[in-house]
Amino acid sequence: MHYANTYLEKPVVPDVKITGEGTTDVLKCMLNTGSDIYQGACKKRGSTLKEEYKNASGTCYMDPRDMAKLGVNNWDTVLVKTDFGEVVVNCAVSRDAPHEGTVFICKGPWANTIVSHDTYCCSDPTYKGIKCTVEKTDRKVLLMADLMRWVYKKYVDEEDDDVVENMESLGELPVYHGRKWEELIDHDL
Amino acid sequence: MTYEPPVTDYDYIVENCTCAFCGCNCDDLDYLVKDNHVVAVRHACRLGASKIMEDMDQRLLVPMVRDENGELKEVDWDTALDKAAEYIANSIRPVFYGWSETSTECMKEGVALGEYIGAVLDNQATICHGPSLQAVQNAGYPIQTLGEVQNRADMIVYSGSNAMNSHPRHMARYAVFCRGYFRQRGRFDRTVVTMDPKFSDTAKCSDKWIGFEQNGDYGFYNAIRAVLRGKELYQDVISGIPKEDIYELAEEMKNAEFGVLFFGLGLTHTLSKQRNIDIAIKMVQDLNRYSKWGLTPMRGHFNVNGFNIFMAFECGFAFGVDYCRGYPRYMMGETNTIDLLVRKEPDCFMVIAADPGAHFPNGANQHLANIPVIQIDIHWGPSTELADVVLPGSFIGVECAGTSYRMDGVPIYMKKAIDKPETCRDDEWIVRELKERVMKLREEPNVAPKYVPNPNAL
Repeated sequence: MHYANTYLEKPVVPDVKITGEGTTDVLKCMLNTGSDIYQGACKKRGSTLKEEYKNASGTCYMDPRDMAKLGVNNWDTVLVKTDFGEVVVNCAVSRDAPHEGTVFICKGPWANTIVSHDTYCCSDPTYKGIKCTVEKTDRKVLLMADLMRWVYKKYVDEEDDDVVENMESLGELPVYHGRKWEELIDHDL
Repeated sequence: MTYEPPVTDYDYIVENCTCAFCGCNCDDLDYLVKDNHVVAVRHACRLGASKIMEDMDQRLLVPMVRDENGELKEVDWDTALDKAAEYIANSIRPVFYGWSETSTECMKEGVALGEYIGAVLDNQATICHGPSLQAVQNAGYPIQTLGEVQNRADMIVYSGSNAMNSHPRHMARYAVFCRGYFRQRGRFDRTVVTMDPKFSDTAKCSDKWIGFEQNGDYGFYNAIRAVLRGKELYQDVISGIPKEDIYELAEEMKNAEFGVLFFGLGLTHTLSKQRNIDIAIKMVQDLNRYSKWGLTPMRGHFNVNGFNIFMAFECGFAFGVDYCRGYPRYMMGETNTIDLLVRKEPDCFMVIAADPGAHFPNGANQHLANIPVIQIDIHWGPSTELADVVLPGSFIGVECAGTSYRMDGVPIYMKKAIDKPETCRDDEWIVRELKERVMKLREEPNVAPKYVPNPNAL
């Protein structure tokens, strides 16, 4: 069946070519979170288990000068740490650059791991303006289901972060146990 | 993105549907339907089209309950509803969170259940425009409809809001590019100003970008207010903006014929929270000494405003309403979902048409891992990974009709275009069933004890 396509594997970002190792291992930054059109389109379609959501939401948008300081290129992985947690995300050049010293991660399970839950009695957590550090890493960005398992560990017996991180992936499709997915609906779309 | 030919293979078109994405509630969409699926959408933005042509891979189709191994198992509706009702009836401090992506008709059942059981009812405003609602109570609500903006406004200010990314048709349909009765030339008759620390996509197509520094919004609005009241600015640079620019902007705003301030989460999520909005509202009040100005919060979900209006009508409070004492009570920082979860208070959490897994901070979500979570939604999302009972609902505005409220408070009836999947149920039906089952399990409603005056106080 022909239908209009709204999928996009990765957000479109400006090209950048960073050469060299960079001048620092750990970069101190200000973290902002919020939505952008790629994250919004993917989340609202419901494709949250997929690689697409990982790329749209689990990406740290940086100023190219900050990327040069770290020696990272588009779609390398970085580790972002705040007082509230740490998470591995992709990095890419921000479409809104220049904003040296500020990084932007779209809202979603990845950003949630590191934002502040402090509401200062105003009902609203502080999602913007959080101090963070960014460093280069070899660890992989987790898919949504794996990330939820790694962070909250609601349905695994294991307590060790490293063990849960390296468990077998839950995959990009819902897991149905009783009946096969194909039996539930005409899966032609 | 590569070029794609237009979709020509469809059975019929459903015209004038209402978009179920953001607070703009665009009601001019056409759905192209084939074999009971929407295969293309006309007039919608990227976000709306994407949402309406949902991802069927992840559609929730059957009710599911976690078994002892922590795996979701498909069950029939009776079993799932009984399990959910049991969790609710046995809880002491249940929280019903969500409601923003469902119809006002469903909220009616929800508030009846919440009042019966003594629950906390809260919606997404608690993590987005909650501070705005608080500021409205502090300082007032100089609002206008989006139709007035389209026909009259000649100055549009976006503050802390990136409309091009989160409300893509807002500029085209209501505020900037559209032609209006008094603004026949559309964009050419309007001045657009964006205030944002980031040079956002909205700023790129504005006439003026005010890039104040991070957390500098409060100081900046105060400076404008001072200028509007004829005061001299002593500092040369305020919140990263030179004072000459502030004088110029204040003069321009004074001389507008009809100005509108649209503000987004950039103001509510920074440190000053509701005080930012307080000062923005007071600035609009000051501007009204010279010209006609109004403001509108850029609401995110299509019915997030609906819940606030509905609850304010039902019990007098807009969100974060606590029924545990048998009467509605509301206290910022106390009866709001994030604060409750961070304090680890709730012992049962029902998510309806919302996704706390994707939008709550880690510190709040950690508590969801300790308590039973009931999810009523249409897609398998981050919250499903935390849910113990999953009840598949239906898609308001596509598979099911309902009423929603636009960001300016105009109610819009969203019509049904296609049939829902056979195994799904309407949200309204699900909540009503839950209510009836909970009433059977707990026969006594939660009512306030009779008031007895303290004899010592006499």
